[in-house]
Amino acid sequence: MASSVTPFVDPETGAPTSPRSFAIVHQRPRGSFMGCSKIHDYDILGKLGEGTFGEVHRARSRKTGALVALKKIIMHSEKDGFPITALREIKLLKLLSHPNVLRLEDMAVEHPPKVEKRNRPIMYMVTPYMDHDLSGLLDNPSVQFTVPQIKCYLQQLLEGLRYLHDNHILHRDMKAANLLINNKGILQIADFGLARLYDGQTPMPGHGGGIGKRDYTGLVVTRWYRPPELLMYLKKYTTAIDMWGVGCVFGEMLVGKPILTGESDLHQLELIFDLCGTPTDDNMPGHKELPLYKDLHPRPRPGNLPQRFREFGSGAVSLLRELLKLDWKSRINAHDALQHPYFRNAPLPAAPGEIPTFEESHEFDRRKFHDRKAALPPAPKGGTVGRGVVNGNTGPNSGFEPDGYGGRNGANGSRYPRNGLPPPGERRPAWQRDHGHRDLPPRPPPPQNYSNGWDGAEYSDSYRDRDRDRPPRGGIRGGHRDAAPIDTYIPSYDRERDGGGGRREPPRDDRRRHDWDDSRRHDRRWGGEHDDRMRSSRTRSRSRSPIRDRDSHRDRDYRRG
Amino acid sequence: MRSHTYLQDIIFYTTQCLTQSAGLLLQLPQSVTAQANVLLARFWLIEPMLSYEFSDTSAATLYLTAKLSSHPVSVRDICNAYTYLWSDSSPLFRRQPSPQQQPPEPTAYTPTDSQKTSFHNRLLSLEARILYTLGFDTHVALPHPLAITYLQALEFFNHSKSEIGSLTIKYLNTALLSPQMLYLTHQPNALAVAAVYNAARDLGAKMPDTSWWEVFDCDREELGFLVVGMRSLEGWVGKMREDGKGVWEEGMVRRKDVEGEMTRRGLLRGNGDKAVDEEEEMARLMDERMATMEAQS
Ligand SMILES: Nc1ncnc2c1ncn2[C@@H]1O[C@H](COP(=O)(O)OP(=O)(O)O)[C@@H](O)[C@H]1O
Ligand SMILES: [Mg+2]
Repeated sequence: MASSVTPFVDPETGAPTSPRSFAIVHQRPRGSFMGCSKIHDYDILGKLGEGTFGEVHRARSRKTGALVALKKIIMHSEKDGFPITALREIKLLKLLSHPNVLRLEDMAVEHPPKVEKRNRPIMYMVTPYMDHDLSGLLDNPSVQFTVPQIKCYLQQLLEGLRYLHDNHILHRDMKAANLLINNKGILQIADFGLARLYDGQTPMPGHGGGIGKRDYTGLVVTRWYRPPELLMYLKKYTTAIDMWGVGCVFGEMLVGKPILTGESDLHQLELIFDLCGTPTDDNMPGHKELPLYKDLHPRPRPGNLPQRFREFGSGAVSLLRELLKLDWKSRINAHDALQHPYFRNAPLPAAPGEIPTFEESHEFDRRKFHDRKAALPPAPKGGTVGRGVVNGNTGPNSGFEPDGYGGRNGANGSRYPRNGLPPPGERRPAWQRDHGHRDLPPRPPPPQNYSNGWDGAEYSDSYRDRDRDRPPRGGIRGGHRDAAPIDTYIPSYDRERDGGGGRREPPRDDRRRHDWDDSRRHDRRWGGEHDDRMRSSRTRSRSRSPIRDRDSHRDRDYRRG
Repeated sequence: MRSHTYLQDIIFYTTQCLTQSAGLLLQLPQSVTAQANVLLARFWLIEPMLSYEFSDTSAATLYLTAKLSSHPVSVRDICNAYTYLWSDSSPLFRRQPSPQQQPPEPTAYTPTDSQKTSFHNRLLSLEARILYTLGFDTHVALPHPLAITYLQALEFFNHSKSEIGSLTIKYLNTALLSPQMLYLTHQPNALAVAAVYNAARDLGAKMPDTSWWEVFDCDREELGFLVVGMRSLEGWVGKMREDGKGVWEEGMVRRKDVEGEMTRRGLLRGNGDKAVDEEEEMARLMDERMATMEAQS
């Protein structure tokens, strides 16, 4: 073919051009390019967190004048570079766009002084400033929620969650402290540090959370908001785990404080059984297959939810029961919850603008209201939440609630070693400090390994399914679930595109993984000792345990450092 | 006629090949390595190529992509792989050794401790640089799964789909290496359509009579451009080897060779100073020169 040596021709003018300049000309328009700002583009107004969450600062953008929050990405692990959990959170947030999901506006970089040799930049995530988090707001004694206000917040929470679930995202850390509220009455779901893409069927109206398709790590969701199936080690969990959290948050808004405050995982289950009854084939089909169930011998009881929440009316009780169903398969999904009569019966939900404004409150300012600082309870007995994984075949859970499964430690010492304690004086991760601070339960460690975290090709298929052309700052559009995958980095090329809607796509089932992914792996072109060495190092790390210690350690370091 | 931008093209092509080779050595799935190729292309759209050693940039993009995937690799493994590929023992861009020849001693491609430390530092600062430069846009949508889907939806009367499928994938993988940066200028659906088209045509498969590409949202003009672009790489690489004499002889192209060549051609008044700022300046200068020359041509 004659043209085969000079492809670098501008398709419009026919003039020869350099491929690189061609690409530069045709790349995504700079205006829509969401790059990084410098930290000097913001005036720092003060720290929001006091070490409890790492660092969150309040700041004002010099460009727009808007108030923002800057969340510092803590680089604990010098040796592995940029923390994987933060990378995932950022990657995910960049794909999301919904009024009830916190928006990642920017990334800001701070260059440390040049004197240091290994000066890596410090990165901040920039999100719009929100006046409160729900936990802080509820703890403010001068704030009393009205029913219309509760309905308004709950509705927004469900809208946000419906969007996430429809787009194959599990949040996995539903709790009041991760729900942000501003003085316009808008609620947004925040903190995607534990979120991941969901491989299973998205919830369908009338069908609860459906059935799980694959295993995920069980070490998610803060204990007080952790659903019974997770506490009993179901691995194939579904979007229903987030719905349980919604139930807990709903109850918390009604009574003004967390409703299920277990001191250990076993205690948490006991509290759940008190409220929802003990598992039966009726209220929790399949419970006998849950790994932990055979070790449990709960005293049978019916559950006191209706009595405990009677004062809030039958509508509230009915919705709460749907959300706090033991049976994860039929636990109500976000779509159906939004249709619940609770939202249609008087008093109707307030419009966000009607909600009165409050003095700003965040979880960490709780001290403003109660002088709890002096009265911090001692660190929990084990004091090791999520720490202490050293090496060998210890699981990520070693040291995680060492008091929780006393019996199991003996039975399965390799997974829950007794000695998984951090050296004395070691810094504790924040989610453990949480515990001391206002009796919060320990937050779970983040996804502990890559293979359980964000997967490769198969899963990224579904990732791409959701990925389509975005408005300038990007995001998944509601509605067009069947759009074709679009590389968001690419401008629409020399013509108008329909922006993602209305693309045809064969049914999902056709979209099987092809062997293109693996075929090359067997190519032994490179042969030789080097190759073998690599292969064996890989196998070794695989066979050791499902957990990669290094990674889990690193993740935790970042998350809770 | 020699392409004006042949140096940039050679750097691009060889570095992308290096990434692919490292992906093989590290036994990464092609979906991961391919994403690394795309990230590298994005990075070089913004950052001058000469700012960093090419193999370091390749290593950092691969490390970052693998970290985000379900196939993370350790810094140590990356270091071993790249040290090997960079060494004289590496078969990459070298003529096949004669069968009698002894395999190289492992010491010839095993990094020393100080090499490891320095590699580690370079890797991590480049990782941060890449993230910053890309504005953390690390998400890549690849055309490969789409191409398979399209194939399944199409009817090729006289040919097995698996044969067409594997050639389609080859076209897509080859396009990753093209300095034309097709992955940055075209959406995955268009790339997928063009690859299917090329594969079917090569195998003489009878395609549907209709303008089937429109079903996949690709118009005739775009398809034509991509079809030519994808088919041209092979011939072009042969030519590049000719043009690249003096820079790209044996093994991986190195920054210092490129700088030397640029100095010889008067594109640089280089004094061999390695300060990064100056290199950026040089690269900018090079880009400007190229642009002027292009404008004149
Ligand atoms: N955009 C924001 N506006 C106001 N406060 C915020 C914002 N983002 C985070 N915060 C505060 O910081 C706390 C921790 O942030 P979060 O994203 O949950 O990080 P972590 O992973 O440390 O829990 C939140 O509970 C909230 O109080
Ligand atoms: Mg949080």
